[in-house]
Amino acid sequence: MEISKTEIGLARHCLDYALSNGAQKARVTLSKTLMNLIGILNGEVDKVSQSLDRSIQIQIFADGRFGSFSSNRLEKEGLESFILKAVSTVKMLEEDSFRDLPAVERLEKNAMNGNELGLLDTSLKEITPERRRDLSLASSLWSRKNALEKGFKLISEEGEYSDNFFDSLTLDSQGLYARHCETSFEIGFEITVEAPDGRHFSSYWWDAAPHFKDLQWEKCSEKALERAVAQIDPKEIEGGKYNVVVESECAGKLVTPLLSALGGYSLQQHNSFLEDSLGKQLFPEKLNIIDFPRTYGENGSRLFDSEGVATREMPIIQNGKVCTYFLNSYMAAKMGMPPTIEDATHVKLLPTGDCKDLSELIQKVRDGILICGFNGGNSNPATGNFSYGIEGFLFKDGKIVCPVREMLVTGSFLELWGNLIATADDARPCLLKLVPSLAFKDIDISA
Amino acid sequence: MIFQKEHYFGIFSIDTTLLQKVVSEALSSGGSWCDLFFENTSYGNLLLRDGAVTSGGFHVDFGAGVRVLSGEKTGYAYSESTSPADLLSCARAASAIASGATPVSPYGTPNPSRGTPNPNADRYPVLKGWESAPMDSYLPWLQELEAKVKALDPRMVKLIANLSFQSSDILMYNSAGELKWDSRPLGSISLMAVFSQNGLTENKSVSRSLRAGAEMLTPELSDSLAREVVKGIDQRFEARRPKGGQMSVVMGAGASGILLHEAMGHAFEADFNRKGTSIFAGKMGSRICPEGINIIDDGTIPGLRGSLNYDDEGIPGQKTYMVEDGILTSYLHDRISAAHYGVRPTGNGRRESFRYAPLPRMRCTYMESGNAKADDIISSVAKGIFVDEFSNGQVQIGEGDFTFFVKSGFLIENGRLTMPVKDINIIGNGPAALADIRAVANDLIIDQGAWTCGKEQSVPVSCGIPTVLIDKLTVGGE
Repeated sequence: MEISKTEIGLARHCLDYALSNGAQKARVTLSKTLMNLIGILNGEVDKVSQSLDRSIQIQIFADGRFGSFSSNRLEKEGLESFILKAVSTVKMLEEDSFRDLPAVERLEKNAMNGNELGLLDTSLKEITPERRRDLSLASSLWSRKNALEKGFKLISEEGEYSDNFFDSLTLDSQGLYARHCETSFEIGFEITVEAPDGRHFSSYWWDAAPHFKDLQWEKCSEKALERAVAQIDPKEIEGGKYNVVVESECAGKLVTPLLSALGGYSLQQHNSFLEDSLGKQLFPEKLNIIDFPRTYGENGSRLFDSEGVATREMPIIQNGKVCTYFLNSYMAAKMGMPPTIEDATHVKLLPTGDCKDLSELIQKVRDGILICGFNGGNSNPATGNFSYGIEGFLFKDGKIVCPVREMLVTGSFLELWGNLIATADDARPCLLKLVPSLAFKDIDISA
Repeated sequence: MIFQKEHYFGIFSIDTTLLQKVVSEALSSGGSWCDLFFENTSYGNLLLRDGAVTSGGFHVDFGAGVRVLSGEKTGYAYSESTSPADLLSCARAASAIASGATPVSPYGTPNPSRGTPNPNADRYPVLKGWESAPMDSYLPWLQELEAKVKALDPRMVKLIANLSFQSSDILMYNSAGELKWDSRPLGSISLMAVFSQNGLTENKSVSRSLRAGAEMLTPELSDSLAREVVKGIDQRFEARRPKGGQMSVVMGAGASGILLHEAMGHAFEADFNRKGTSIFAGKMGSRICPEGINIIDDGTIPGLRGSLNYDDEGIPGQKTYMVEDGILTSYLHDRISAAHYGVRPTGNGRRESFRYAPLPRMRCTYMESGNAKADDIISSVAKGIFVDEFSNGQVQIGEGDFTFFVKSGFLIENGRLTMPVKDINIIGNGPAALADIRAVANDLIIDQGAWTCGKEQSVPVSCGIPTVLIDKLTVGGE
């Protein structure tokens, strides 16, 4: 199922063909994904699906111009005419002196077999369709429906197990050869229950891991049920300023806009509230966000970015100070700054050391609102203002009092992070951003 | 543009005999229904940034999906090749869902879906195919668009204009022997401008997306987009967040249709009701909003992003009343849910591409005009908010809680629009919001923005609404 020698030969041929037909430089990325999926509905197999995807992306640099092209039709002759059309299309575009391949010394040189970071589980090949089905059915709690229904009715249970194999190879005209392989195993369940008053409440739980042995599949459905039942009988509360604790399951939503605002595409367009922030102390000293892209065996680790540039451990925000922008070769050239990396892939927000888990964090904060999920909303990248729908629980004296919903949290990211009180140490390893539960003070809640 | 079937057979290198053989193989384990979906889509895009069109490309996606149903269970497999060997391999993989089920099909009964596609009834005829001209012929239009924005507002400091276009050739065949084909164009322009004033920065995005060819790139369209992207920038620099809480909300005509899509449309999709998860499950025939309100999902409006000649199960595009005079009258069905409920499919079986099995999805969702006047509605509100520009929305199907994000609007104080507001989320509950509709104006607008629905898969949709007053929703703020 991995990229074959023939397919590697085809990728090389595409590169050479582009270079001998009008491109001065080029980059080719060949990728291949194999996926198997089993869907469960109310304790029975509801869906089986199998797929194999292949695609080739060709980036052409010709006469000071640039274009990007892709196809999933990998016949040699067809690709040749595709490349000829691509080169002639590039030559129709306007010149762009900032487009170029990265400097050779910045390229990754040790991604040869694709599994240098240990993200490939070869046992995937031994997982049979029967094993997938049995695991999915064993994860279901539907057969225990009658015993579980206490004070609620179980309306539906939907689950999905999938395993994936991903293989990619990037070549360029200055000798880049960079391979990345990984497997991923995922399981998730969504449960809907009906309360005695007829209202429905749903929740989900999921897990994912690069290695099958690490997949926490046994308790997913139970956890989803527990979370759905906990929402029964929500109370209306007054809007106002509250302390807020954000559960690690969804806390990454508050980090993503910071990373986007530090991206070259936002900064270069003056569409970032973190423009001119490099080296400035904009956040509290206790905030440390680091990218660890070369962590062995962990989700999101990468030896190189989409340009083939070698990744490295990189502080993003250190002791509250902004340490880096994410600049690929193009954006760096346009902004007249040194290039860094295209984006962060294995981000960790370092725990402050105040609390071990969510329970301790709630104890520390004493009174406030625990956010367990976001329901829609958005942020303005230029101003950093945000407004999100939230669901969760009111807590007092360190104890959960009741579920609350139909509420909104509104503010600006700089103010929000300025009000960081503490963090737990409970980031979920299945997430690409390892963000623990977070506590903030004086947050505007509308209800 | 609908061609003769030989055109599509040629693209996919298939014939009727092969189609029948694949279906036969797919049902060899005892499935009750099989359908095949062939797709050849070519995409192109051009990006104007920093005053020049310096980026562009095209992309090809080709393949076929095989679906086998066994009762309401689905087996699905696809291939990026349409060779007989690969199609038969897909058929065997999809057939794994079935094991000796009785081969009785409840899915192939709808007579309206029979018949040969009629080019004269095409809802998106193309006058100028996107690939009929070289890509550089579109550069002047983009450059002119930027010049028009600059001329209208010198505070504009950055502008990104992205022109994307696609053409999809589709062929569908099923175990009832129905053969359908379609060619679907889609052209989209999105514009994001950044404005600077006194050291402050604001952005604004607008878009237009139609099932049309390159003939849509008219001077009138660039005029319209340029005016839209600079409209309201003064207010945006002045805008503040309001004091949050529950208040009356007046939804401006047009893009406020996102409210219908999120708050009601998803909950009317029959898969959620079949599984019992939707808050509207079991409410068919019940009053769910005041008399006089009609809510529709329509695939028949020519040229709209959400319109279809046929859905992705080969059912003809049609207009479906979900709510008539305040009564819930229909869910949105694919073949599975229609068979479950014993009704005809409504033409809502849609998929992102051949890689996905179809699901009940919206097309163009809107509310019909009422009798009130928009100005009178605003005058009737003592304290509330008027909203007219949106980015995204979301719904929780089980609970019915929905949200949508307001890019701009105004406070309403004593019947007058006063302070501009921006960047706030609004949250409500679908059934409660429907019941709380107090007035509907006579000014329905179908929005032509590039709306995309993301329920498991991405599909293009449209939405619209007249000016509507909802008694109370929760508005985010200080």
